[in-house]
Parts: sequence; structure tokens; C-alpha cells
Amino acid sequence: MLRGGIVGFGRMGLTHYSILNDHPEVKFVGICDPSSFIREQARWHLKVATFDDHEKMIRSTSPDFLIVSTPTFAHAAPLHFAIENGLHVFVEKPFSLSSKEGRDIVNRLTGKSLVHQVGYVYRFNDVLLNVKDLLVRHAIGELLTFKMEWHGRAVLRPSGTTWRAKRSQGGGCLYDFASHAVDLINYCFGPPERIIGSVLKRIFSRDVEDAVFSTFIYNDGLSGHLLSNWSDATYRKPTLRLEVLGSKGKIAADFHTYKVFFPDEPDIEGFNKGWNTRYITDFVKPVRFYLRGFEYTRQLDHFISRIVDPDQPNVCSFHDGLATDMIIESIVNDSTR
Amino acid sequence: MDRIIFGDNQFFGINHMSEEKAAIQAERFRDVGAIIRTLDIARDCGINALMLNTHTKVAEICDHFRKHSASYGDLRLYPSFPYAHKYADLVNEMGIVGAIREAVFSGQSTLQAFGTIARGGLGVFTRDMVTVMKLLVDAELRMFRELNVQAFFLQNIVTDLLLGMHATDVFVEFANYIKEKYKVCPAFNTMNMPRLVDLLLECGVHDPIVCSSINPIGYMMSPDKASYEEAIRSKPFRPLAMSIMASGAVAPKEAIDYVVGLGKVQSIVFGASSPGHIAETKRLIDEAFDRREQEAA
Repeated sequence: MLRGGIVGFGRMGLTHYSILNDHPEVKFVGICDPSSFIREQARWHLKVATFDDHEKMIRSTSPDFLIVSTPTFAHAAPLHFAIENGLHVFVEKPFSLSSKEGRDIVNRLTGKSLVHQVGYVYRFNDVLLNVKDLLVRHAIGELLTFKMEWHGRAVLRPSGTTWRAKRSQGGGCLYDFASHAVDLINYCFGPPERIIGSVLKRIFSRDVEDAVFSTFIYNDGLSGHLLSNWSDATYRKPTLRLEVLGSKGKIAADFHTYKVFFPDEPDIEGFNKGWNTRYITDFVKPVRFYLRGFEYTRQLDHFISRIVDPDQPNVCSFHDGLATDMIIESIVNDSTR
Repeated sequence: MDRIIFGDNQFFGINHMSEEKAAIQAERFRDVGAIIRTLDIARDCGINALMLNTHTKVAEICDHFRKHSASYGDLRLYPSFPYAHKYADLVNEMGIVGAIREAVFSGQSTLQAFGTIARGGLGVFTRDMVTVMKLLVDAELRMFRELNVQAFFLQNIVTDLLLGMHATDVFVEFANYIKEKYKVCPAFNTMNMPRLVDLLLECGVHDPIVCSSINPIGYMMSPDKASYEEAIRSKPFRPLAMSIMASGAVAPKEAIDYVVGLGKVQSIVFGASSPGHIAETKRLIDEAFDRREQEAA
């Protein structure tokens, strides 16, 4: 049985707790949150020891792993302490507020055989797993262009009192929302050679951007666009639109469907000339426990299964998280040019 | 429980298979009048039971039902709450405690808010979560006042969150509160039916109503289809089947024959938009249930 601790018991903390608490190999021994209300409820209803300080929690409960689901600005301290004390670590996205902060955390892993993972949950989405597989197999030939759109309705009025409305705490559309899209670009195509034409646009927010537009240039001839807006009321929930054009075909995907077009008969099994549409109902695999989406369970089960068997490849390591942070930083720098 | 309950996902841009279909439907049902026209078509087909979430548009639909109580008096409602995306947006904006405060007090006059505070005790937000839960239930269910409600369903994101947490006392308190205050059956939506049924029975919720996806391809059925079939066969609860066609991946007849063939399922909730599709699905469900009853006799 693996003993777990969790720092930050907000929306993501509750989700991770619920999914992992159901895992047959996991037992939570501590919950850490600054809110006395949250701590009181957790102690009373979940019968788990609670703390207002992660160091106290780790010292007195000796967990095997730590889930860090605080706002981004509060990731570094518990991660350093957990790694120092030999805990496996899972941290919510984005990894860190700056590449310097992120690099310090990654450096601390050197010489330690700890499992580490960043919560870019869509790397575990069934559609994107299939799209990634097609790209790895060069199904559409040489890649020419992509368009990564990520829209939602998270901010529709000027107020907003939480960390999400503060840049210094990791808020704003780019860090809090579009970072998923940036990470998927990193996951599917790798980091770009350079970034141009970046615009961070305010719509409702006072201190942070509500939309991000940017162009990614690669050395091998690929180029692509990131378009993200969290202030668009026409989207009921966060929505992905991905298009990738290659020399031998095109892929179009959202969270429920992907389509592949081949102008000629493809050499890839199971696909035909013309459009090939695949619905999620055709290919999704069930999970042991479902909450909010298949990918949420799949990413945590990946983390736990790597603690048990570290030889499996890591789908979203701290190094991946740092690479995505560096792209985000490049977008910010480009936008002020 | 009604044999056939008309669902509402199609009215709110929800389709678990295709975002394109969802967007087309959301546009088609952008105004409440279009939704009510479709509900009337379903009633003309003989479907007199509705499952509704607590979307703000549903409040308008309920106003319409109350205003025309002569024609809708016999309509039976199965509300499901809370409408999760409303809360997700609130939590993003205000944090968890702020969202609770907004959800409980928004739409209340100062006088009503004082009443709410008095009921919860002055320190509402430092007290037990169960008290807060009761206030949220009241706030969410206000829109169904004076209507003929058969059961209140706890929506699956909340049910499954509590299920994963093993917060058994909250389930028990919720079930008792719905029974005592609203005099209707407490019910639960879930994506993890076998696990939930075990937990509800374990904590003494008698013969619970549990609504879950049940379809021949095992879509949205965690941990797997076999566990669902086993739970339906062996556990004392009232299963209500939704997503029987897996958002369109399974043909109606195949879906209905599978669900009705499981024996214990007495109720099916389905959503559709076109008159032909509504009538045809209703006919197929009736035929399958009638056939089962004849075979049993």
C-alpha cells in the first residue's frame, strides 16, 4: 500500500483525492490546505489528518508520494521539500512560474530515482493519444502546418478575486488555461525553433490576458498557430480544435472525435482514401473509476504504476513540464517585443 | 418510476460522442420556446416524465409549467442537480468558499438571505459541510417549487466525487434531507454504478434509485460492462438506464433490447430532438418492455 499526501485541497485537489482514494494500492495519510474551513471538513468527513504546513505533514505522516495541487505560485516549496525527503511527486500544471524556478526543481531530482509527473492531463486523452500515435507513425507524411485552438468561458466578467486573476500567482489565460494547448503543441510537435507574432489580449480581466495568439516556427519547415481565448461565451466548456496538415494527409480533432483525410490510398492499416471519422465511442477504453473524464484517472494511474514499476516511459515528466514552461516564457517575451 | 423519462442533454449542447452534433443542437434549442415545443411533442407521444438539470434555462421552463398548470399538471419531473459547469465557473472565479456563498445567496432577497443564515446558523461557512449541502440543495431546487417532482437526482460529478472520497455520511444526510424536507425519493446519477450501489447499500440507503449509462458497448460504464451486469443481477436497487445508445453509437433497437434484456431495469431515460425519432424510440421501448412482461407471465 502506498501512502499519499496532498497539498492544496481546492478543485483539483478534491478531484485527485477522490480518484486516488479509490485506487486499491493507495491510502491517503495527510491533507494540507491553508483554509481552516477546508481542513475542518476534510478531517470530519474524510477522517484524514490535516495540516496547514506541508513540512509538518510530511514529517509527521511519512508519505511515499505527494500530490501538489496548489496554485502555480505555491508549487516550488512543497516540491523541493518532498524531493529532498525522497517522495515521489505529482504536480498540477503549469509546472512553475518561471523557467529558472522550474530548472531548480528539475536539478534537485539529479541522483534521485523518484517518480515525477506534471498534470498535463490531456496527454492522457483518448483522442490525443490516437492523434499522437498517427503523428509518431508519420501517417500524414511530412508535417507542414498546424492550428491549435483552445477556447472556453472561464472568465466572462471583469471581477475575479482568486489567484486565477493575478499574473504573479500563475493566473491569466496563458498560464492557467492555454498552457494545456502549449503543452499539447510541445507533446505533438516538440519545442519550436522560434516564436513570433505573439499577442496577449485583455478582454475582461484587469491584470491578466484573456486571450493568446502566437505563431510557432520549426526548423524542418513546420509552422503552426496557437489561438486561445477563455472569455468566449459560445463554448460550454474548455474546447479543443486541432488541425494538422501533412504532405500526405490531414488530421482534425476535438475531445470527442478525430478525422483523418488521405488524398490517396494510405499505407496505414484501417484507414481509407478520403475522410476517416473516428468517434470516442469507437476507441475509448474504460477506467477503474470515472470522475470528470477518462484522462484524469488515466494520468494518476500512470503515476502510481510508475512508482510500482519505474521502467515504464514517463508520459509527462518534470522535464516535459519545464519545456512547456519555457515555451510559455518565450510567448510572453515575444509579446512584449 | 416511469418506464420512459425524457432527457434534456440535447437541449443544452451536451453530446458525449460528437461536439459538432452538440453545437448544432445547442443552436437549434437556443430559445426556451424551441425546447418547450419539443417537450410538447414528447408528451403528445405519450411521454409524461422529464429529467431536467438546473440550468438557468430550466428555471424558465419551470416558470412555463407553473404558468400553464392546467396543461402540465400531470407532468412528472425528475430533476438532477447541481448543473456542474455553473459551479465550475463560479469556483474558477471566486474559489470554493466564494462559490458556495454565491450559489446559496444569489437570487435571494435580503430577507430570504437572513432566513438562510438563520437556518444554517450565523457561522454558515465555518460549520459542517452537511449544513452547507442542505442550503445548496434548497437553492438549487427552488426552481421546481409547486411542480410534481418524483425524485431528486444528485448529479454524477458530485455523486462520484463523494463516492471516491468515501464520504458516506454526506450520502446518508443527503438522502434523509430529500426524503424529509421534499417528501420525494433521493436518487443518484453516476458513472461508477457498481461501486456506488455497494456504498449506498453499505451505508443503509434502502433500495436506492441509481441512474447510469447502460449500453451494449460499455461506454461510460466504469469499471466495466460485466460489473454493471452483475450489479443489476444481484443487488437490491432500482436501476435507471441512460446513454443507452451511447450518444448515437448504438442503433436504437439494439440498445433497447440490451437494456430491457437485463431484466431488472424498469426505467429508461432518453433524449431526442426530432418528432420521428422520439416516437420511434418510445414505440421500441414500449414493445421491448411489453414483450418482457409477456414472457415473464
